[in-house]
Amino acid sequence: MSIPISPISLPVAPALSAVPSAANSGSGASFQSLLQNAVNNVETANAQASAAVSDYMSGGNQEIHSMVLATQNADLNFELFMQVRNKVVSAYEEIMRMQV
Amino acid sequence: MTAERQRAEVLVENIANADTTRTASGGPYKRQDVVFESQDVTSPFSSIFDAQMTSQGAGVGISQIITDDGPGDRRYMPGHPDADKDGYVTFPKVNPAEDMVDLLGASRSYQANVSAISAVKDMIQRSIDLFK
Amino acid sequence: MLDPLSRQLEQYMTLLSVRQKLVSSNIANADTPDYRTKDIDFESEFREYLTNPLKSAPNVTDVNGLRVKADGNNVDLDREARLLSENAIRFSVASNLLRGNIKDIRLAISGGGTNS
Repeated sequence: MSIPISPISLPVAPALSAVPSAANSGSGASFQSLLQNAVNNVETANAQASAAVSDYMSGGNQEIHSMVLATQNADLNFELFMQVRNKVVSAYEEIMRMQV
Repeated sequence: MTAERQRAEVLVENIANADTTRTASGGPYKRQDVVFESQDVTSPFSSIFDAQMTSQGAGVGISQIITDDGPGDRRYMPGHPDADKDGYVTFPKVNPAEDMVDLLGASRSYQANVSAISAVKDMIQRSIDLFK
Repeated sequence: MLDPLSRQLEQYMTLLSVRQKLVSSNIANADTPDYRTKDIDFESEFREYLTNPLKSAPNVTDVNGLRVKADGNNVDLDREARLLSENAIRFSVASNLLRGNIKDIRLAISGGGTNS
């Protein structure tokens, strides 16, 4: 039985850091910071991409290739975030399974 | 491109009328020429092309068309219906050879402009391909 | 997320795009009296970017050493045509490299296969 983790909200982090010490005590903090890092990157990249696309659409001085790269960058950050989330979820589930 | 094309049109008209001794307004054909001027361009192309082509450069347009009002060539042809009382006919001051050379130049410039548009369009396409 | 080399490629493409706009301007004004050919010093602008990525717009300068025609215009169509091709080719190379980089990063993220 696993607690469903929503990708955007952070309240999952305290639950992870409450994992008993079968895992080493640093792992809760590092799960949290991994996810936090990934979310921050996604938010920054998305903001930059949105700004670039807006500027492009309203006829500003935005170069097309820069705008495309900004959106690709946002995509890559998001894909990385999804992978990190998946790994964190499966690691958490595995740890939970260890508790007999 | 529009400017070069207009220039070509004026030159062709000059050459075609090189021997016109009588026009609708009376008198021989008067040679015309165009004056180019760097201008900001409002282009009928899409706004993408506009932003790419003109945001850091200068367009060009025709600022005026000059008519040569100087005296034409006078040739002695007493039997000609347009001859004046001395037997001279006034022909337009058009040198077809000179205008022909200018026409070739305008054509070459026009071609260069076509190449430029094609190159920029290709670059835009490649930028879009980064999405793949 | 995009690695530094990709950022450099992006800036390279931006500079090429700026240069191409100037070449297009020069071509459009090939018969305009008193028009002077414009360009940027590509190599030094790019090198400046490598040391200072936040540098803003490049300097547009006049080009020396061009023959001035009787109407004051100094555009050399051969030079502009050559630059047109060169810029287009470089842009194409850079965009291909960039596309490859993006693919590689995506591959690295997904680990090349499905993981549990």
